Order: sequence, then structure tokens, then C-alpha cells
Amino acid sequence: MDNLNWLVKEIEKLKRNSPYPSARSLIMPALWIVEKHFPEILPEHMEVIAKILGVKPVEVEEIARFYAMFHTKKKGKYVVRVCTNLSCMLNGGESILQAICDHFGVKPGETTKDGLFTIEEAECMGLCNGAPAMTVNETRFTNLTPQKAIAVLEEFKRKENGKDNPQER
Amino acid sequence: MEKIILRNVSRENSHRIEVYLKHGGYQAFRKVLKEMSPQDVIDEIKRSGLRGRGGAGFPTGLKWEFAAADFKEPKYFICNADEGEPCTFKDRLIIEKDPHAIIEGMLIGAYATGCSIGYIYLRGEYPIGKKILLQAIEETRNKGFLGKNILGSDFSFDIFIHSGAGAYICGEETALIESLEGKRGEPRIKPPFPVNAGFMWKPTVVNNVETLANIPVIIERGADWYSSIGSPDCPGPKLYSVSGKVKKPGVYELPMGTLLEEIIFEHAGGIKENRKLKAVFPGGASSSVLTSEEISVKMDFPSLAKAGTMLGSGAVMVLDETDCIVKAALRLSMFFRHESCGKCAPCREGTDWIVRILNRIEKGVGSEDDLETLLTVAEAMENSFCGLGMAAHNPVSSTVRKFKDEYLKHISLKRCPFKE
Ligand SMILES: Cc1cc2nc3c(=O)[nH]c(=O)nc-3n(C[C@H](O)[C@H](O)[C@H](O)COP(=O)(O)O)c2cc1C
Ligand code: SF4
Ligand code: FES
Repeated sequence: MDNLNWLVKEIEKLKRNSPYPSARSLIMPALWIVEKHFPEILPEHMEVIAKILGVKPVEVEEIARFYAMFHTKKKGKYVVRVCTNLSCMLNGGESILQAICDHFGVKPGETTKDGLFTIEEAECMGLCNGAPAMTVNETRFTNLTPQKAIAVLEEFKRKENGKDNPQER
Repeated sequence: MEKIILRNVSRENSHRIEVYLKHGGYQAFRKVLKEMSPQDVIDEIKRSGLRGRGGAGFPTGLKWEFAAADFKEPKYFICNADEGEPCTFKDRLIIEKDPHAIIEGMLIGAYATGCSIGYIYLRGEYPIGKKILLQAIEETRNKGFLGKNILGSDFSFDIFIHSGAGAYICGEETALIESLEGKRGEPRIKPPFPVNAGFMWKPTVVNNVETLANIPVIIERGADWYSSIGSPDCPGPKLYSVSGKVKKPGVYELPMGTLLEEIIFEHAGGIKENRKLKAVFPGGASSSVLTSEEISVKMDFPSLAKAGTMLGSGAVMVLDETDCIVKAALRLSMFFRHESCGKCAPCREGTDWIVRILNRIEKGVGSEDDLETLLTVAEAMENSFCGLGMAAHNPVSSTVRKFKDEYLKHISLKRCPFKE
């Protein structure tokens, strides 16, 4: 509930500083706030957004579902996007995705049991000069090999486990 | 060759306003504000011959003239920084290394067309670029180049960033506008064109990042100088994103119309491990393939159109002799199936059919009839609502035609010949 109150304040702030002529344009920025601060975009989040912006809940929901980067299903603390589009594919992107999935025992789109990583097969992220590439939340990793990719994620895991409360966002 | 678009990117802290100002930044905008009327600016850009770098190649000066001529207000100026075309990463370079060139280009364009509000529609996958752009906008406001009554004039303009969220179709300008209005990114019917009825149905200019980065230098050094670079009917410098199986993948600035062969073998260092070149998609995922015999072609809008393909975003995707053409066409088709917005049937159904058929050919269970079917589906997709569906079949229909033997080999061997 506390979290919802926090969201209410954030969306109200967003609305006060709106650079748009219509409140509807704030739906995407509002959903970005939820995407960044919550494990998933839930109906109650969409309701808060709809109410404050004065739009229909369905207008928020259709945006949350249309755009690939919004998660309406629970995601891990880190979203790992492995590119398999052409340049990455030609340079081994698929084997990297496969290696990561095998290593953590998940399929593309799934989250590891410890809730740390959601592994996603991604479209081109504009990192093709360093193909094959992946991103972990906002950090980029390029010129990967399967071993390097796994080492990167293991390093994230090691650091997390060193923290007191690994699940804190 | 002298770097023009990339003139700033190799400097330390090139993204900061002090560095930009030190090397002549915002001088073009000052000149425009003090010495030129909006019509002067439009005339100069028209004379330069600059054509949009977002893919369609529309003359920028003409676009601005249309927007300037419309009486409805307010008018909006949008920078298209959605860069979603696979294997295109030139705009990212400008966004991260020379954000002030984009802002200055927008300022000049807004002044010329009478726009008062600007948005940068930035793809969601560029969070680093977002931080850099936000800082750049803040710096520009603090220097008084953005806001009300800029530098004491009666010109007011401000810029805001709108983050996309992973939808390629939002690079299409009318889908972008829908998205900016807080809707699903589905294209609108044209006409009316955005210059007359765009964002909130008001006159709206949409320009690509690279297009805008050209504007300050055109003003600074003049249309005559600019139009002497590159192809006469399509002048200026061009950024080519080269990737795939080349030794030195990267963004190369070269005169518009540089030979594809030269780009691959001289600038990008040739093919990895000195293998043989097999095929090139010269203008992104929706361009038709060129074979290794077809690469002495000029990389500009008219020359590539004549060669049966297109310049698009200038993304050169290179395949070598060990790469499977069916697999490449399949992967690009999967991209389009994923990105089809679903509004119209030819694209929504066509991309799905194509993926399913290519999948079975690649798996070794296709038939010769499948090739005919692919071409029939491709033809039907020409009737799609927007450019995505109209062009999505190009990598498929062109490879079926030019690499038919390889498709047939998959069918007769009942497996992909490139797999053990
Ligand atoms: C499916 C599709 C995707 C597009 N994606 C982009 C893009 O990512 N960036 C871009 O600048 N233009 C893109 N365009 C072209 C835009 O619709 C528009 O022509 C361009 O932004 C105009 O700017 P310009 O005249 O400066 O090139 C796309 C077009 C289509 C049909
Ligand atoms: S062609 Fe594809 S992307 Fe374009 S409107 Fe139709 S379904 Fe949407
Ligand atoms: S193809 Fe993978 S980042 Fe572009």
C-alpha cells in the first residue's frame, strides 16, 4: 500500500510538470515509472494512473500490453536482453542465449528461480558494432562469447548475494 | 575525407555544451536568429538538397516549407530518435556523442517553421542516450538557447524527451505521433501528412536525428558548399552503419553515393577471416538483398532504387559464404512478425505465413511449392497499410529470387546445408 501511495505522488508530480497538451500523453511516462520501480505492472498501478490522468483504465492497459518493454508479468531484478537479430545472429547471438538459458535452467522469457534474472530474446539494440550483444537492465555488454556472458551474469549474482537484502529494488 | 556530421564525436566530453560551444556550436542558430528570416532558412535548406536520413529520403527544405505554410497553431517539431531498424546504430552515435547538434538542428528547424514545442521521441532501448540528452537539454536551457524569448528575440521553443518502449513501428512518423499522444503505435492514413495534421492534429515536422545533425553545418558553411558533396541529385555526407561479417563493424561517414564495395572492403576492412562475401542487405532489414556481383553500386537513394533495393537507414548488413541465406531471411521475418502492429491483414497475416514457411524450409521439411507461395504472400503484402508491411517481404522475395538454388538445396537435402 505504501508503494501505491508513493506511485500516486509520482504520477501527480508527473502530471504537474507535464510537457504535453493532453494528459493522455503521460500514460507512457507513467508506465515507465511503474516499470522501473515495480516487478510488474499490475491492474492497481494502471488504475492509479488512469484515475490521476483522467483517462479510461483500458487506455492505460492497452499501452501496457502493446509495448514490448513494459512487463505485465513479474520480471526479475535484472532483465537480461540477448540480441539475436541479424548481426548478432551472424556472430553467435543464438548460442549465447542458449548458453545462458542452459546455465540457469530457464527458457527465453522466463525468470530464474531466485528472482534475479529474466532472460529475454531481444531484437536489435543498436549495439551491432559490438555483436553479439546483450544488456542487463541498462548496462551493455558487447563482443560476447557464451563463457563471457555467463561470467557477467555470475558476477551480478555474486554481488547480489553479498548484499544484505538481495531482493531490494 | 573531412568529417562533417561526425565533426565533434571524437573530442573528449563532446556531449557537453562547453565543448560544443568552443568548437563553434550554436553559432549557426545565432546567425539564423539574427540575420535570417524563416523563409531564408527554408530556402537555404532547399538549395542544399538535403534529403531526410530516416529512410524515406524526403527533401527536408520542402517539408519545412509545407509546415511553415500551414496556419494552424501551435506547431510541433519532433526529432525521430526511435532508431529501430535492425543493424542501424548511427543515430545512437550522434545522440551519445553530439546531442547538441540535434538540439541546434531542432532550434533552427523550429524557427524556420514556426514551431513552439519540440519532442525527441527516443527509443526505449537507449537509456544511456536519454541521460545524455536530458543533460544536454538542461545545459541548453541554462545558456538561454531554449525557453521563452530566446536570446531576447520573440522566438520561444522548448524540447522534451518522450521515451518509447520497444515498438519498431513507432519509428514510422504517424505511428510515432499516435504513440506520443499516448496511444498504441498504429500508423495513420496519409494524407493528411503530419506537416498539416500531425501531433494533436496540428502541423508537425518529423525529422530524423542524422537529418537534424546536418542542419547547423549547412547554415554555417552554406548550401553551395554542402551540395557539392556526394551525389549531385542526393548530396551531402551520409552515415553508414556497417555490421555483420566485416572485420571492422562501425559507423562510417562518407559522401552520399560512395560505392558499397568501397564501404565494405576499404572502410570496414573486408570480410572476417578473409572469407568470401556472399550477400549484403544495403539498407536495413527491409531492403532487398544484393549478391557479391552487385556491390559496385552507389549508396544513395536513387542509385539503390535503380538497383531494385533501397538505401533506407543506410544499415549495411554483410553475410559471408558460411552464412545461410534462408536463416537470415527467416530471422529478419521473425523481426517483422514481432513488430507488425496488427492493424492490417496483409502485414499481420503475411509476416506470420512467411515465418512459418521459412521455418519449415530451414528445418528441411519445405517443398518447392513453398517458394511460389512465399512470392504470392509477398505480393499480397504490397497492399499493406504502411511501409512496414509493404517492405517486410523484401528480404524474403529478393533472396528467393537471387538465391533460389540455396532454397532448393534445403528442400532437396531435407536439411540446412550449413548445419552439420
Ligand atoms: C516501419 C517504419 C519504421 C521507421 N523507423 C524510423 C526510425 O526508426 N527513425 C527514423 O528517423 N525514421 C523512421 N522511419 C521513417 C519515418 O516515417 C519518417 O519518414 C522520418 O522520420 C522522417 O524524417 P526525415 O525526413 O528526416 O528522414 C520509419 C518508417 C517506417 C515505414
Ligand atoms: S503494415 Fe503492418 S505495421 Fe503497418 S499498419 Fe499494417 S499491420 Fe501495422
Ligand atoms: S543486431 Fe544485435 S544489437 Fe543490432
